[in-house]
Amino acid sequence: THVPPAVPGSGKERLQAPHQLCALRAGDYVVSNRLAVERTLRSELLGSADRRELAQRIQRLRGVFERVCVIVEQDRSKPGELSRPVQRPQHYDGTLSALVQAGVRLLFSSCQEETAALLRDLALVEQRKSAAIRVPTEPQGHRRDLLNFYLSIPRLSYPAALNMCHHFDSLRNMANSSPQAIAAAAQVSPQKAEEIHRYLHHGFDAQLLPKSLCATGTGPAGARS
Amino acid sequence: MTTKPNFPVTAGSIAVPYGHVIGNEKWRGSELAQKLQGKVRLIFEDGLGLVDFHLSNRTCILYISEADLVAGDEFKRRLVKFRNTSSLGGVVIVEKTQISDQYFLAVQKLVVLELGMVLLPVANQGEASQLITQLVREHSKDPNSNPFLPKPCSQLAEASVFQTVQQIPGVGKTKALLLLQQFGSIHRLCNASVKELELVVGQTGLVYQYMAACDV
Repeated sequence: THVPPAVPGSGKERLQAPHQLCALRAGDYVVSNRLAVERTLRSELLGSADRRELAQRIQRLRGVFERVCVIVEQDRSKPGELSRPVQRPQHYDGTLSALVQAGVRLLFSSCQEETAALLRDLALVEQRKSAAIRVPTEPQGHRRDLLNFYLSIPRLSYPAALNMCHHFDSLRNMANSSPQAIAAAAQVSPQKAEEIHRYLHHGFDAQLLPKSLCATGTGPAGARS
Repeated sequence: MTTKPNFPVTAGSIAVPYGHVIGNEKWRGSELAQKLQGKVRLIFEDGLGLVDFHLSNRTCILYISEADLVAGDEFKRRLVKFRNTSSLGGVVIVEKTQISDQYFLAVQKLVVLELGMVLLPVANQGEASQLITQLVREHSKDPNSNPFLPKPCSQLAEASVFQTVQQIPGVGKTKALLLLQQFGSIHRLCNASVKELELVVGQTGLVYQYMAACDV
């Protein structure tokens, strides 16, 4: 089955695009196995509180995805507001410079429609580079149950979890795979595959488990926190 | 600001002293150069070819003015030539004005999506000088202070492993802890037999099925 380049959204915006939407834990959009896109308003690059929040979002994405792109969208001007030339804040250039230096890709958009077009373009480029998501974004049956298991692996992207769902017949099969096999199945970098492999083999030490997590007593089996 | 057809294609790396910017001779006396003076140490050099400014031995600026955009495709040839001949990181600064706005999306597509370079829009040379100043400042900062770089994971794997095991149907906190204390890792848990699992958490057909089942 071939799925068109999937652009799942967080649900907070629904852009006019022939793409699938599903809930993401991080990032506004995922356009391929390796690229996540964060949409931000220009005004959010100006204040230091907004900038801090954006930095946290980007940092989280960088841990999960190979590539991160930020689309800077022009704020909508209020009706009747005259577009008068304003001094470009130095803070804005500082943020742009830091993003460039950190290797984050930047795209600029003047409105929501342009943002949607840019997302489509990004998805097409990724497809051309054979990085498009090629597995069903809604796994069925047993595979669906396994998705949550894979998603609970730290810093694993949603597409990587989908790929693992699709390529491994069982958890046992996955747990016994080499890092190379994990990289091929999940479509992740060798480094990320090593990280997953290490996680699966991590020797659990109950002493190190934060007390707040294991305080159960009579908690019903199957309860999830 | 256009390159003469026979101009040698120099786009190689050059040594840029700390806190300096090396500018193409053609910018001498421009508004951009004047506004940069006093903020960064600007030195002019001849024969930089396609490059307008070198910020470091790895990063350089190619400047596309409003006039370049309006004049046609010459700037595209220049960018492609740069991309094909240089290993430097190219930052393309584009003048996005009311007049050149109509070309912006196409230029962005070329620069970012096709050529894989960085593009930053400015309204005029004044804004460009401020942007270049910030880019230079960012270069001289400690890379660890960059807020957009990933930080090493601080959370202990124990908490995550504990959560992961609770994704198995019928396994809550209590059973997860028992299973992990017995088997030690997700890998070993996944390879446990029905009998081994039963010894730890009682009737566990479901748990075993979840880990070993194939539905192909």
